[in-house]
Amino acid sequence: MSIELLLALITGAALFGVGIYGALSQTNLVMIMMGIELILAGAMVNLVAFWRYLHPDNPAGQMFVLIIMTVMAIEMAVGFGVAIARFRAKGSVEMEEAAELKG
Amino acid sequence: MTAQMFFIGFFGLAGVWFGIVVFRTFSMVRSALALLFSQTALGAMFLSMQAEFLGVLQIMMMATEMSIMAIFMVMFMMDPGGLGEMDMTHQKRLSLGAGIVSFVAAVAVAVFVDWGPVASVSPDAAQQTIDLGLELLGRSMLIFETAGITILTAMIAATAVAIQPVKRTREQ
Amino acid sequence: MTTVLLLLLLAVGAYLVAVLEDWTVSGRFRLTAPVLAGIALLGRESIVPRKPDRIFFEVAPFLLLISAILAAAVVPLTPDLIITDMATGALFINAALVYVLVALLMAGWGPDGAYAMIGGWRFLGQLIAYAMLIVMPITAVVMRAESLLTTQVVVSQAGVWNIIYQPLGFILFFIAAMALAFLPPFDLTTSKGELAGGVEAEYAGVRLAVFRLGRLALIITLAAATVIFYLGGWQGPLLPPWAWSTIKILAVTTIMLLAGRYMPRIREADLLAWCWMLGIPLALLNILLVGVLVLVFP
Repeated sequence: MSIELLLALITGAALFGVGIYGALSQTNLVMIMMGIELILAGAMVNLVAFWRYLHPDNPAGQMFVLIIMTVMAIEMAVGFGVAIARFRAKGSVEMEEAAELKG
Repeated sequence: MTAQMFFIGFFGLAGVWFGIVVFRTFSMVRSALALLFSQTALGAMFLSMQAEFLGVLQIMMMATEMSIMAIFMVMFMMDPGGLGEMDMTHQKRLSLGAGIVSFVAAVAVAVFVDWGPVASVSPDAAQQTIDLGLELLGRSMLIFETAGITILTAMIAATAVAIQPVKRTREQ
Repeated sequence: MTTVLLLLLLAVGAYLVAVLEDWTVSGRFRLTAPVLAGIALLGRESIVPRKPDRIFFEVAPFLLLISAILAAAVVPLTPDLIITDMATGALFINAALVYVLVALLMAGWGPDGAYAMIGGWRFLGQLIAYAMLIVMPITAVVMRAESLLTTQVVVSQAGVWNIIYQPLGFILFFIAAMALAFLPPFDLTTSKGELAGGVEAEYAGVRLAVFRLGRLALIITLAAATVIFYLGGWQGPLLPPWAWSTIKILAVTTIMLLAGRYMPRIREADLLAWCWMLGIPLALLNILLVGVLVLVFP
């Protein structure tokens, strides 16, 4: 077990924790998306660390990171699309005011 | 303590610190740019982990992404400058608890799992780029194409959702 | 050693750009004008506006300068004269140049002024338009070189320069580079007439001097990038490599500065529409054409 790998994994875990906190505590849709971006960033750090320290000869590990970046871009596009639609309909993207979405 | 260890730790710390700043500032543009610098620090961390292509790509992609985020923040928040210091959070204790629990759980997994032998050398940067290119257009081509199609679908869907509905009225 | 030399060259280049810009604007060729202007700027008071976002306000000019220098770090002037020959150089230029956007966003938001803010957000809107026109032509260039190394890109043009091999890509890249350096007619960010200086409006004194220096370094870097991607870099007959690099970079800079002199400023909505509806399809067509060409005439 190398210290570099451990450092990277702890960073990933910390980003994940901060992201979870942000996604749960913020009331604004855009801020929640920021939390999700941080969660994905944590996942990305872990993947790069696993590629570098466990399987440096397998480029599939790097490919995985590219897929996560794609997921981030998609999340942004769809999130902002929903945000614009919501803002147009209700005049705000505050989650407190979106109680009617509760099932 | 090697140079690599120092840089990974330093940029990791910077990334996490900027990540915390995102939720601690009242100014929305600051918040978005803090996220940007968090991601940039992670890009630098990838560079120090010798994943050169991914690091540069991360630094490049996130700059545009987070700048766009900044303008959306300004559009959708009531107080984008943060001069009113409005509290924009709810269920604080629950989320703090959830954040800490998930952090501790992930760290516990990282510490207690036996990761097996650790590779000390990685292919050099030019070789990595070649390998990644061959991987993308070889074994993983289907996955990559699926990702491309998914992005296209998301773009169309997002545009369709966001576009202004045309009101068909007889009055005009 | 090489690093120091190249940074000095970058400073000299920025100075020459300042002289050339003065020449295109005023019509007089004065070698001392930038020195006098610089001394005047340094002597003036550097005013801080009311209720600024202090961090952004202070950091933005330096970020602009740093991103230009970082982009210059992967540009080779001769086969050996390069700060760092990164394995992902052609991508790194993009990555460094995107931070120009971040710097201008900060400079626009920081000083808490209406004109500055409009200028900053305008630049963001434009960048979304032409960022693709920088990345996609570079993709085509890299396809021909089969490498992301900038030195390899230059070597790949030994037979035919890319300006002849892919003229479409050159035109798109040239326009996008001018827009990225907010040169007229694309100077929507700092337009003198309508925005009273835009993002520069609230800056004065030392900070404005740094900001202007960053922009000059950006212009020379973009000219150098155009030269290595499309004009064969250091290659050419008779003269030594460094002379060819210098001549080409200065020529491209002059054309960039002169082009704006004789054109009216474009409306930002028009620029967006043209970039999206014409520029991106053309860039894709360019990639396709170059792909076919690379297979037929390698």
